[in-house]
Formats: sequence, structure tokens, C-alpha cells
Amino acid sequence: MFRFSKLSYSAQRRVVIFSFSLIPVVLLLTFSYLPVFNMFQYSFTDWDGFSEMEFVGIENYITIFTNPEYFSVFKVSLYYFVATFFQMGIALYFATILSYQVRFKNFFKGVLFFPFLLNGVAIGFMFLLFFRPEGTLDTILHALGLSEYIKLWLGNPDIINISLAGTSIWRYMGFNFLIFLGAISSIDKEIYEAAEIDGANKWHQFRYIILPGIKMIVSLNLILAISGALSAFEIPYIMTGGSNGSETFVIQTVDTAFKYGKIGLGSGMAVVLLLIVIVVTVMQRKLVKED
Amino acid sequence: MNALKKTLGAVVKYGSLIIGAVVAIIPIIAIFFASFKTSGEYTTTGPLTPPEDWTFIENYIRAFTEGNMLTGFLNILIILFAAIIGSTLTGSMVAFVLNRFDFRGSKILIGAFLLATLIPAVTTQVATFQIIEGLGAFNTRWAAILLYLGTDIIAVYIFLQFMQSISVSLDESAMLDGASYVDIYTRIILPLLKPAIVTVIIVKGVNVYNDFYTPFLYMPKSDLHVISTALFKFKGPYGSEWEVICAGVMIAIIPTLIAFLALQKYIYNGLTQGSVK
Amino acid sequence: MNVKKFLMAGSMLTLALAGCSGSDEENGGGSTEADTSWQEMDPEEIEGEITVITQRTDIVDTVFQDYEKEFQKTYPNVEVNFEALTDYGGEIMPRMNTDQYGDVLLIPVQVPIEEIPRYFEPLGELSEMEEQYRGVEERAVDGTVYGIPIAVSYTGVIYNNSVFEEAGVTELPQTPDEFLTALDRVKQNTDAIPLYTNYAAGWPLTQWQGALPTVAGDTAYYNQTMPHEKDPFSPGKPHYELYKVMYDAAEQGLIEGDPLTTDWEASKVMMNNGEIATMVLGSWALEQIQGAGENAEDIAMMPFPTNADEVFFPLGADLNIGVNKNSENKEAALAWVDWYINDSGYAVEQAGGISASYEVELPEDLAALEEQGIQFLLQDPAKEGEEGLLDEVDKESEVGLWLEDRKKVLIEAAIGNRDETFDELMEQWNEDWNAAVDEVAANQ
Repeated sequence: MFRFSKLSYSAQRRVVIFSFSLIPVVLLLTFSYLPVFNMFQYSFTDWDGFSEMEFVGIENYITIFTNPEYFSVFKVSLYYFVATFFQMGIALYFATILSYQVRFKNFFKGVLFFPFLLNGVAIGFMFLLFFRPEGTLDTILHALGLSEYIKLWLGNPDIINISLAGTSIWRYMGFNFLIFLGAISSIDKEIYEAAEIDGANKWHQFRYIILPGIKMIVSLNLILAISGALSAFEIPYIMTGGSNGSETFVIQTVDTAFKYGKIGLGSGMAVVLLLIVIVVTVMQRKLVKED
Repeated sequence: MNALKKTLGAVVKYGSLIIGAVVAIIPIIAIFFASFKTSGEYTTTGPLTPPEDWTFIENYIRAFTEGNMLTGFLNILIILFAAIIGSTLTGSMVAFVLNRFDFRGSKILIGAFLLATLIPAVTTQVATFQIIEGLGAFNTRWAAILLYLGTDIIAVYIFLQFMQSISVSLDESAMLDGASYVDIYTRIILPLLKPAIVTVIIVKGVNVYNDFYTPFLYMPKSDLHVISTALFKFKGPYGSEWEVICAGVMIAIIPTLIAFLALQKYIYNGLTQGSVK
Repeated sequence: MNVKKFLMAGSMLTLALAGCSGSDEENGGGSTEADTSWQEMDPEEIEGEITVITQRTDIVDTVFQDYEKEFQKTYPNVEVNFEALTDYGGEIMPRMNTDQYGDVLLIPVQVPIEEIPRYFEPLGELSEMEEQYRGVEERAVDGTVYGIPIAVSYTGVIYNNSVFEEAGVTELPQTPDEFLTALDRVKQNTDAIPLYTNYAAGWPLTQWQGALPTVAGDTAYYNQTMPHEKDPFSPGKPHYELYKVMYDAAEQGLIEGDPLTTDWEASKVMMNNGEIATMVLGSWALEQIQGAGENAEDIAMMPFPTNADEVFFPLGADLNIGVNKNSENKEAALAWVDWYINDSGYAVEQAGGISASYEVELPEDLAALEEQGIQFLLQDPAKEGEEGLLDEVDKESEVGLWLEDRKKVLIEAAIGNRDETFDELMEQWNEDWNAAVDEVAANQ
């Protein structure tokens, strides 16, 4: 990739690698890994956040692994997991068609990205208005003559997670969309032009030029989205507080740690979650590579 | 035949775009309408009923003045400025090192950044607080700046993606002219990364701008408040004034929307335009 | 008995020692003697800058700024800064592990009672302060007071009288059965929602717990009897009776149609307009509901339905205000606490309750009720050496008497979103509670 022929560059290289990485790595260690290290320590104690810490060995982990209820909430994650693929698909679809010639291009880009600009509390509030009986959604269904499909969108425990996962798609799709849009623009335009001359249709262009061209960004987004599904938190927490069967693992962790004052146990749960996320991520990377 | 296919394609294309746009907009309309309603009107009318009086801007005035939005804008501007410059520099530096050099530990480095984003931050707040306090950054703007600076993986990946398409031959020809690696980074790579930088500015900017958790926990002093925290002035333990909050949300959206519209053209301009192919 | 007491004292001592050994020097071994020297000082001599932390984000920039001006009329050399936290318990906890938790703050309910002295400055002897203030015994440790309630309020059922009239409810229901019958009448004869739970907001469900003494008909039950009870959630016990009303109302379709999307703000207006018949809340809400529309005179409050012989409104304390042990301007901080409780008018004007101070006059409507012979009673404090025991068991068991989670589950089960019956849920509460009692006993 580069030349070793000039010795001075090789020396430069070392200096550059070291100095360019130094500040980011120091920040990373201080604000990400040090707290995790502390959390790991807490997970072996019975700390309640205020009293003296007492070392209890692996007691917290025994509690977690002997209570299947702690893991049953992961089925809620499945909804967010499935939603992830819809979210990616929609984002990729819109990013691709908006990379070509389209009327009112900037308008559509702006509007599709818009939801990402809103803050979480506003979104929670907005969707409570949206889902409540005779709220925004029901009003629309009435107008479309679809009144018979009206349900208790949050009141029905079979639907609540779909509603919440849908809210999550609405909120984050714009983000994926923007990232994909930017990534697609990094692909050299001439490649399309050449392909077009060779008679490749739009699907082929997407399949053989765009997708491979932005593979790295897509797979990163997928990793982030899947780990996000496992640790889904903000939307259900703001909207329902985890009630009516919408509790996720992180809500459970936060409640255990801060509501019931069991920082030790909560830390143990967070460590378990982190390990699960790492395992899933590694598995996913392996799968993607074999592809 | 071909013409029919083309029309059908256009129908699908525009149809889906319009549906997407409507879905994105409708929930926000409820907020927009609510921001012009009096509190009595708000609780008695449906969310999609337009306000009676479009000139009722009391909510906006209250949100702006009582929410101290002017101070908020000033604080968030300072924080955004520092956080964005910082994370653009650190992110692109790390990406430069990772993309241009193949060295032992590069895998670990990127893995470390990736792993860090997988940690659910809510669970580590106790320890993070002690660190911030230990650095003496509590109740200063530095607390937010430092926490936002801790480079996030998304910036690194966006830069990596773009750097892949910046040809190494550019570096090589610069080296022939005797440029150092630092020169290559500052004179060749950074300017060419413009679309990526804009993407990072938008994504990072929106995240920082909307985050209320960090300012609340780490800089609770009144004169350090930012825009996102202004909304909570109208949300008390005994009740919330939703119509004022809605107005606050609308005020908060405007600058981000303007910034997005102003900056977006840089994202799509393509990458290596005007430079050596 | 004596042996038990001895053991208890021993365990307290160990705890106290553990408290000293590990903590910072400044935290450790602090005296429990209140420093009252500021009272003898000339107000002008008291100087410094203090930070006051509050949960009232809504009035921090308005009412509290006026408080500062008022306060400075007496104490011209004290500067007061305010910090308002939205999620008080969540945000203060990380800060309390450093000494950055302001000079004056509210004692978070998450702090185990016996740990309070590690963080807060003693305010005085319980025996003396009881004479002056309501509710100070609740968070007192070993006869020393560390905090004073910012307000005291009473809990019961707020109802709309004209809805009751329209429904044909002529006499106020007194027992749970009468109450449910009245709600059913409302359902049959009016368009109003009989009982609005405010499930979505969550916290209104915790208000029910405040009505427990009425159901028990006994001011000593909660703090003195319950800690020694096995299976405190079995049929016939006060908690069972209290939450049975919640469950039955929900099961019989006497609550709102979609609990998940209720809106607290809207509920006040709806109640005022006669669209809601009843809500279980603290007295602080009364004024807000009366002010939410044009029908203030329809809104009134009655004691929670009970089978007990003696009916009274239970008084309950709001959060306690205290002083940071590490404060550098203790005189100013103590002066603020004193002024805030006795002179600011916060409890009556901003929290819709009664002041903790006996010297502050009762609000009008309450004084009127008292004249009618309705009693307002404080709960009896825990027995000596048992302060904080109930609180500890509650946290360990995760029953969360003062939290909304399990109440939400009750409602979910009642409306058919879950499979458990009421008795099964109570059985589960019992199991968790009993296990926690054993666990806590084992730790002592």
C-alpha cells in the first residue's frame, strides 16, 4: 500500500500512527472503558449506590442465570430485531432512488430525514398522541374507510411492541438514509455511466455496483442496529416505561439498578448484556464474511 | 412497451416517495398544530384538528423566553463547535491511520472503537460521573464537550468509507514532491473528505443538539442549559404544559432544518470531483 | 426480647463502624449533634453562595427566583443558585457518590434510611423537632432529624359531585363495595369514566399507597405492625383490600378504555368537565383539578373507601429537604432550609398541601373540613431500632410499595392482558416479600 523504500517515511509512519491515535484512544479509554471496568467491579458487589460496597463474588451472576424471567424479556428484542431489517431496507431503497434523477429531490431528502431531527421526549409524546384511541392514527384510518382495523395500539399486549418498534423505525430510518446517501455518493459516477452503456438495468446497478460499494457502511449499520435492538431502551422507556409487556433488557437493568437500588445486580445484568451483544456481533461478522 | 415500463417505474418511484414523505410528516403535524393551541383547546380538540387561531403565538413566546432559549442557543453553539471540530479531527485521524497504514494492532484499534459503541451508556453513568467530576469538568461546558468528543465509531466508518475511494496514487504523487504524511493528511485527505465531514457534522450535530441527558446530569447549573433542556421547563412533577413544549420543539427544529438544507448539497456532490482521478 | 434488642444494637454498631471505616474522612464518624450556631448569628453575618437543588423544573426560573429575593431581604449576604433536576432520583444518585450534590437538596428516597447520616447534616433532636414539624420522624435516624418534609398532604378519592348526582349516587360511598356500586352506577347512568387510573403516567398509581392508613383504619399499621407480618398481602390485610379496589374496578370495566394512552394533563380537564367521576390522588391535586375548567365547585375529596370503624384522611410527607454534609456554607444552607419551610409558603402555594411547620396556617378548605369533624392523622413512626427496616425489605423484594410497576401489572391482569388472577398476584407479592424479610434478617 505504501513504500518502504524511503526510510524517513517509515519513521514518519510510526510517529503518525502513534500521534494520530493517541488522543482518540485516550478519550476512548477514559470515557468508555474505564466506566465499563468499574461496572464490571460493581457487578461483584452488593452496592446500592449509597451504602458501603461489599464483595459478594459471583452471587449476582448466579441470581441472573437462575432466574429465567431475566431473559424472557429478550423476546421483546425480537420485534426490534425484525424492525431493523425493515428500517435498513427502507433506508437503502430511498437512498438508492434518490441518488438518481428525481424531481423535488431535495424536498424528499429533507422530509425523509426530518424525523431524525426531533428529540426523544418530543417523539415519545407525539406517538402517544398518534396511538391513543381517536388519536392521529385512528383519525386517518377513519378517513380512509378502514375503521374496522382500529385497535388499541398500545393497550393490546399483542400489538404494543409492533407499535413501539414501528416508532423506532420512524425515528431512526432518516439516520440510516443519510449515511447511505452519503456513502453512495462516494461511488464514482462514471461506473454507473459505463454500466448504463453496457445495458445494465437499475436493479443490476444496485446489486453489483452500489451494494458492494457501500458494503462496509451497510454492515456497520446492521451491527449497530442489531446491537441497538438487543439494547432497545429510549422509545419504550419514554412511551410506556416498559409496562404492558414492552419491557426490554435495558429497561429491566436500569430499573433494577436505580429504582430498586441494586447497582451490583444491575451492573451484572449490564455485563451479561454486553457479552451477548459482543457474541452476536462476532457471529454476524463471521456470517457476513462467509457471504 | 418500454414507455409503459418507464411510466410504471415512475409511478412506483414517486408513489413510494410520497407515501414515505406523508408517513414522515403526519405525526409532526400534530405537534405543529398543538403549538398554536391554547391549553384548553389542546385538551379538548383532536390532534389533527387545526388550531382555531393561527396567530396565537403565546406558546412560542413563552417557550423562547421562559425556556431561556437564547442562552440555550449560545451554550449549544459553543459545545457543538468544539465537539464537531474535535470529532472530525479525531475521527478522520483515526480513519487515516487505519486506511493508509497496515500495522499491528489496527484490527484491535477499530474493534475497540466498535465495542465502545455497543456499551449501553445508561448503565455506566455512575462511574462516568466520577470521572468527569475527578477531571473537574462537572458543571462546566467541558463535561459535555469531552463526553461528545470520545470519538464514536460512526464518524470513523464514514471517513473510512470515503477514504477507500480516495486513490492512494494521490498520496504517492505527493510523496514524490516530498510531502510528509502530515502534509498528505492535511492537504489532500481532509479537503477531499468534505462530503464525509458534512455527513458527520449533521449526524453528530443532531445527536449533540437533541441529547438532554448529558447536559442534565453533568451541567445542571441554570446558565449552562441548552436547547433540549429548555423543553423540560414546562414539564414538572405535577403536570406538563404540552402546548408550550410543542412550541419549544418547533423552535428547536428550525435551526437543525436550516443547517441540514444548507449543508446537504455538499453530501451529494460526489467525491473526487475536480481532483485527479 | 432483651437479647433481640441487644443483637439489634450490635448490628447497628457494626453498620456504623462499617460506615466509618470505608468512607472519606469528611464523611466518617461525623457527630449527630446539630450545629445550630447560625440561629444566634446576625442574619447579615451569614454569608456565602449556596446551591439549592430542586425537582421543580417548572418553577425554578420563576417562583424560586422570587424566593431568593425574599430570602435576601433577611439574609442580604447569601447568594442562592438553583439547579432543577427532571428525573430527581436518577440524576442525584451519581452525584452523591462525589461531594457535588449542592448545599441544600431533597433527600432522595433511594438512600437507605440508615445511610442518611453519611450524606446529610443533622438538623436537630427528633424529640424537640417533633413539636415543631410534621412528618420529621419518617427519615430520622437514631433520634436525630436530617430532613424536613417540603410539604405534607392527605390522600383520598377526588370526585366530581355533579357526575355522582347524575348517576344517582346520593350518599358518598364509604366501603369498597359501596364505592364499586357507585362507580357502576356512573357507568350505567352517565357517559363519564367512573375511575380514571392515569396508568400511562405511572406515578398516579403510586398515590394509592398513600391511602393505606385509611384502609387499615390504624395509624400504626404500616410502620409498626407490617414489618413483623408474614404474608402481608393476604386476604383481609390492608394492602390486599386497598389494591383489590383497583383490580376490581379495572376488571369490571369501570376504568378508562385504553389505560396505555392516558394523559394526566387531559384528565384534569376531563374531570372538571364531568367526563371523569373519580381519581385516587393526594390533596395537592385538588386545586389543579378545580382550576382546570369552570366547574371548580363540583370537585371535592373524600376518604378512600374502607371497612374500618374509624375513618380519617392520612397525612403523608412529601420529599424531605436537607443539607449536604460537605457544604462549605452550612450556616447559609441551614438558614435557607429554615426559611423555605417556615416562610416561603411553598407547601401551600406550590405543592397544594400543608406546611410541615405547625406554625404555618392550614389552607382554607382543609380548615373547613376539620371543622366538620373530619380527622387528619399522621402515621405513627417506626419503633426505635426499626427505622428503615420496611424500606429495606421493600427494595430487596422489588415489590415497590411506592413505585408503579406492580400496580401496572395489577391493571394489566384485570383487563385481561395477563393471565394471573388477583390472588395469584398477591401470592407472588407475598412470596417476594417473605423472601426479602429473610434476606434482610440474614444480612443483619
